This record gives sequence, structure tokens and C-alpha cells, in this order.
Amino acid sequence: MTTQWGIKYAVHIISTHFGDLAARVCECLLRRGPLSKHNIVRFAETPLKQVHVCLLLLIQQNIVQAYIVEDTGGMDDVVKQTTQYMVLFDNIIHRTRFPKFMTVVAQELDKGCTELFQSLLQHGRLTVEKMIQIQESSYGEESVRENLAKLVHAHFVERCPAVEPLLVPPSEEELAAKKRSRSAKVAAEPDIMERVIDAAAPMESKRFLIIRDDITIDSEMADDGSANVGEKRKRSFLASNSELGIKEEVLWRANYEEFLHRFKHNACVEDVRQRVDDSAAIALSAMLESSRRMESKVKSRTSVPVPINAIYEEVMKDEAGRSMTLDDLREYLEHLKCDRGANDSYSIDLKSILELAQNEEVESIVLKRYGEDSHRIFRLLSKADHLLETSKISKMVFVDQKETPNILYKLWKDKYLHMEKVTVVGSQQCEFLLWKVNKSALWKNILDDMYHASLNVSLRVVHEMEQGSELLSLPPEKREGPLLVKLERLRNIKRVLEESLRKLDDSMMLFHDF
Amino acid sequence: MSKRKRPDSAAPAHGLTEHEKTIYDLIKSKQDMGIFSQDIRRETKLLPNMVTKSLKSLLAKNLIKEVQNVQHKGRKHYMASDFEPSAEITGGSWYHEGALDKTFIDLVRKTCLSYISSLKIATVEMIYDAIKRSKLFHVECSQEQIAEILRTLELDNQIVEFRSTGCGEFASIPILRVCYKIAKKPGSGKEPKVSPMASIPCGVCPRIGYCSPDGIINPITCEYYNKFLDF
Ligand code: SF4
Repeated sequence: MTTQWGIKYAVHIISTHFGDLAARVCECLLRRGPLSKHNIVRFAETPLKQVHVCLLLLIQQNIVQAYIVEDTGGMDDVVKQTTQYMVLFDNIIHRTRFPKFMTVVAQELDKGCTELFQSLLQHGRLTVEKMIQIQESSYGEESVRENLAKLVHAHFVERCPAVEPLLVPPSEEELAAKKRSRSAKVAAEPDIMERVIDAAAPMESKRFLIIRDDITIDSEMADDGSANVGEKRKRSFLASNSELGIKEEVLWRANYEEFLHRFKHNACVEDVRQRVDDSAAIALSAMLESSRRMESKVKSRTSVPVPINAIYEEVMKDEAGRSMTLDDLREYLEHLKCDRGANDSYSIDLKSILELAQNEEVESIVLKRYGEDSHRIFRLLSKADHLLETSKISKMVFVDQKETPNILYKLWKDKYLHMEKVTVVGSQQCEFLLWKVNKSALWKNILDDMYHASLNVSLRVVHEMEQGSELLSLPPEKREGPLLVKLERLRNIKRVLEESLRKLDDSMMLFHDF
Repeated sequence: MSKRKRPDSAAPAHGLTEHEKTIYDLIKSKQDMGIFSQDIRRETKLLPNMVTKSLKSLLAKNLIKEVQNVQHKGRKHYMASDFEPSAEITGGSWYHEGALDKTFIDLVRKTCLSYISSLKIATVEMIYDAIKRSKLFHVECSQEQIAEILRTLELDNQIVEFRSTGCGEFASIPILRVCYKIAKKPGSGKEPKVSPMASIPCGVCPRIGYCSPDGIINPITCEYYNKFLDF
């Protein structure tokens, strides 16, 4: 379940990229969850024809995923199939990260690949033929195919998911297992999102496999025994014709997950660089680089174990790492509390590094927003991770006994702290206040504030640019004197705001995606 | 540190009126915790002017004293003269006349920092010993007090806590013992990260809860941004 400001920010992004109509459809899906086409028409109060066009666009741009559900609840035994449309919130936010994705591709691959990748971002999903068509004027067919192969090999590009898979209801056993492992509180929505994405995803064996169209072996590859039973089952459920009339064909798109893996690793490495030193950062970076290919989910807690020799090989690729001996490397890995497993392999608990970084972010906000004493109190409670009583807090942090309750109250009012009242009845009735940091609730609020802030900054950029539109449209020869100064100022404003947005987005990834 | 005097068992309670005696006994029964004037009234069920009069007389006879309670400054708090106020009343050793002794605390903090910085890496015991030997303070600080100071320095990110590994830079410190190093300072090449959120107006805005794109408080007319972008 995404937060209120998350929804507003997402709607703003869609509205600037694709217009208000698409934004309205998205908002409707974001607020109400998956809906059928007719329900979208009803709730978004938009004519069917327009909804149809919007859905086509949003699917093309990887923002909406369609799926079929079977309804057997009727009086008769007829199974009714309906198509539902689900919006992918994360993919909307990822759109603001396209420049970051481009930078990664440009650093690793050549210009042809970067241009092809840009086209994929722009068009959402493309067939090989379409790519060839787009790049034809600058590159020949073979080069385009080669570029695509390079992008796919680097996992920057992947095969698109099925247009409209059938969502098989979870089996009795799966349901029972879920009941056992999860509390009833867990909302059903993330569950269905996961199931739909899983159902639509191409088989892992084909996700990064390019098959030349002229060697039509599409099905052979899938049935050659390398695909497991689950994958085969999934495949057989793929619908051949979608409600919107989109035909199933081999399409390619940017693989956002790969970039998030990289950003997550980068965030960990930079954190270690700051907390420990450069050499430890080199060791960690090498370890993560050699394990990245084997990682599956971005959110996994630990890295995949890699043999020390493989890590050392990676260290040697870095100029600064060449002075490191194998023993040094071992020492750094131990220092970083890496787990040593079988075959002399190492893995690391990335979650704990990221948690430290998250704590630091929130503490930094508290310091700036409420001052030093509040920061000290907040850190005490955040580290203690249990309830502490007002006067005890005051003593532990050396903040005046009278001032402490005021600070605590303020932090509590702004939802940074959780408070509990305890009444002790003795000769007199005494009331004590106990405080703690409830991280999961607070982190959610902080993330919501970040979405809110991002929306505000984006709106301000738009506003500043509108204000300066006349200046910007001046022909070059008129850009002089005071006008030039004003223009420079406008450019600075744009730069500062966009830089803020970019950095804020790093924090949002830290709290939401990693 | 406040030390409790042995209460005098042969209390000089003779020559007191009946009300004075009731009040004196009550105050004395509260030992080093003392009691508020309102509570005296409530517990003895005497009339306010009676209580005031008796208290005045007891004060004049030096049988009771008025003490500062750090938690409720401004409220009259009484205690039998035989007792010294408990740490709960005075706020403990870091309080002076009912107020946090900020000057002294700052001095101890600075001293601890300078020792850690010259020792590079230090345990509580090492700092305590160094301070004791230096005879820098008129009042003696206990090891527990030094530990309290170090904890606040750590909370302020001025120092970092480690557990000794017993080797390398920790060679001089027994393995697993808690020790401290100076935290990396801004300007030493690696600035501690300031959250991107804390670097923009919205991140530290007291009005974010009331701000919305079409509200009276909104990002377009926002004064904080006008200032932020004023270059
Ligand atoms: S736009 Fe201005 S008023 Fe609104 S949250 Fe940001 S700083 Fe506060």
C-alpha cells in the first residue's frame, strides 16, 4: 500500500509525462486497486474509448499490467473470465530515474547501445524490428542487433512480461502456508501485486535470451527441459489475445531491477566508505560486483556468497585495489562482519548496512529540524529500541528535566515518537510517560514526507520555468547585460532544484526500494 | 554527589504547637524526598493559612528547609533539616542549585574529547584514570559519571563506539572491551552525510502538514523556497 503523497507524486509524474487523462486513470487505479475496464470507466468518469487508449499507452509504458481472473462464484458452473488492470506504482516513480539509468548505460557501453536504450525508455517496449527501424538511419541492422545483444547481456534490457496472463488462484497448500507464516494484518494488496508480476514475468531461462526471429525456436527453448515445472505451467496459461487487442509478440524493455541492484550496492559501498575507509569500500564493492549476477530480488537481505578468489579477482580490476593482498582483503571482509561460508566464500548482511544509513538520514532530519538536544534524545531512543521514561531520558542525555518533556512532546506530536502512559497507584497516583521510536511507522511517514517534498520541488521547478519562459525564449543575441544575469539565475535555480530532486530520490530508494 | 546525613533520632520537636508537630512529623517521614506544600495540606487536612504559618515557624527554628526540586521548579518543596535532598530531587550530580550545570558538563565533555583525541583510542577506565591523575576538576568525577559523559558524546556523533578486536589499532585494549574513537569531522575530507531531505526547505519545514499544491500554504508561494533560491 503506497502512501497518500506517494499517490499524489505518482499522479503528478504521469500528468507531466502523458497528460491529465492518463493521470486520471492512474489515480483511479492507485486509489482503488486493480479494476476491470468498465469499472475504470465508472470510477474515473471517463468514456470507454478514452480509457481504452489510456490503458494501451500505460501498458506500452510498463505502468499498467493486465491480468485475467476466473470467477466461479456464479449460480451456474460457468467460469467467467474478467480482465483486471493493475497500476505498478514503482514503475511510475522509476520514470524520474531514467537519467540515472542512462548514466549507468553510458558508462558501461558504447554510444549505439546508449541510444538504443534511450529509445527503449522513450517507447516503453519495442520489438527487434521496431528497434531496427528507429536506428536504421545511423546504424545498420546487424549493429542494432549487436547493440541489443550487449544491452541484454548486461541485463540492462529484458524480455517484456506477458500482456495478459491468467492469475491462477493460490492452491490450498499455498494458502495454508501463507496463513501460517503471515499475520492476518498483512494487506492482501502486495500479495496480489506479487502474484500478478510473477504470473506475467517471462520464464527466467528466457528473460535474457535473444532468439533470432528467423530461427523460430520460441517454444523449443522453453520445452527443452531447462524450464522447470512451474515455469511450464505458467507458460501454458498465457493468454493469446488480450482484451485490448494487443497481440503477444517478443518485446523488449529496460530492466529497472538491474539498475536498482546497482544503486543499492552503490549505496552500501558509499556508506562503508564513509563509515570505515576507502579500502573497505573497495573490498565490499568487489564482493558485490561478483555476486550481482546471482542475486534475484532487489530487496534480499544478504548478498549471495562468493568465493574469496573471485572477490580478489574483482579487487585487482580496480587500480586502487592492486596494492591489496589476499590477507588484507580477508581482514577487511572480516572487519565488515561478512559471513564466511563453505568453500571459503563470503556474503554480507546488506540490510544492516542500509538500516544504519536509514537511521542516519532520519537523525540528520531531526537534528536540522529540532536542534541538538532533540537529536540526542532521538538517538538515545532510536538506539535503545525500547520504552524509556521521561526523567530517565532526561538524565541520560543531560537535557534539563523541565525541557525534556517539551522536546518529547513535540517529537511525539510530529509522529517521530511513540508514547505510552503508565499509571502507578500507590499511596498517591502517579502517571509516567514512556517513549520510544517506532521505526516501521516512522520510516513510512518519512517516506511519505519525501514524496511530498519531491512533489513540491517538482512543482516549484515547473513554476520557476514558467516564470522565466520569456527569458528562455530570448534569441541568443539579446541575452546580455541584466537579462543575461537573470537568465543565469534561472539556470542556477533549475540546477539546484533538480539536484535536490535527484538526491532526494536516492533517499527514497533507500527507504522504499532497497 | 549528595550524601545523606544520619538523621538525628532525638528530634528537637519539643516546644512546637500541635499543628507544627503534625507537619514536622510528616515532612520528616518523607526523609530525603521531602514534600510539596500542597501535599502537606492534603495529607494533614489543615487549613492553608495554618500550614503556611506552621511552615514559617518551622523554618525559623531551622527544623526544616526549602529545597529546589528540578522536576517542579517554582513549587515549594520542604525537607527536614536532618536530610540532604536525594538525587531525584536535585537532579543528581550534574545539577547545581536545581539547574543543570551546563558549564561543568561542557568542561568534562571537552576534557574527555581531548583525551580520546590524544590517546587515539580509549576505554572509559583510561579516560577516568587520566582525568583523576590530572586533578583538573575541583569536584571528583566517578567512573560512572565519565561513562555518562561519553555516552552523550557518542549520541552527538562526536565519538564512535567500538569493541576491541585485540589486534591492529586495538592492540593495547583487551579484546571485546568497549572503546571510543573521535568521529570523522567535517572538513577532514569525508563529510558526514547530511540527509538530502534535511538540505531542502520541505525536509525541515514545520508546516509540511498544512502544505498542499492547491492550499493556502503551497510550494509556489512558499517563503522558505523564496529564501532557499535567493541567489
Ligand atoms: S513547500 Fe514550503 S511550506 Fe510547503 S512543505 Fe515545503 S517548505 Fe514547507
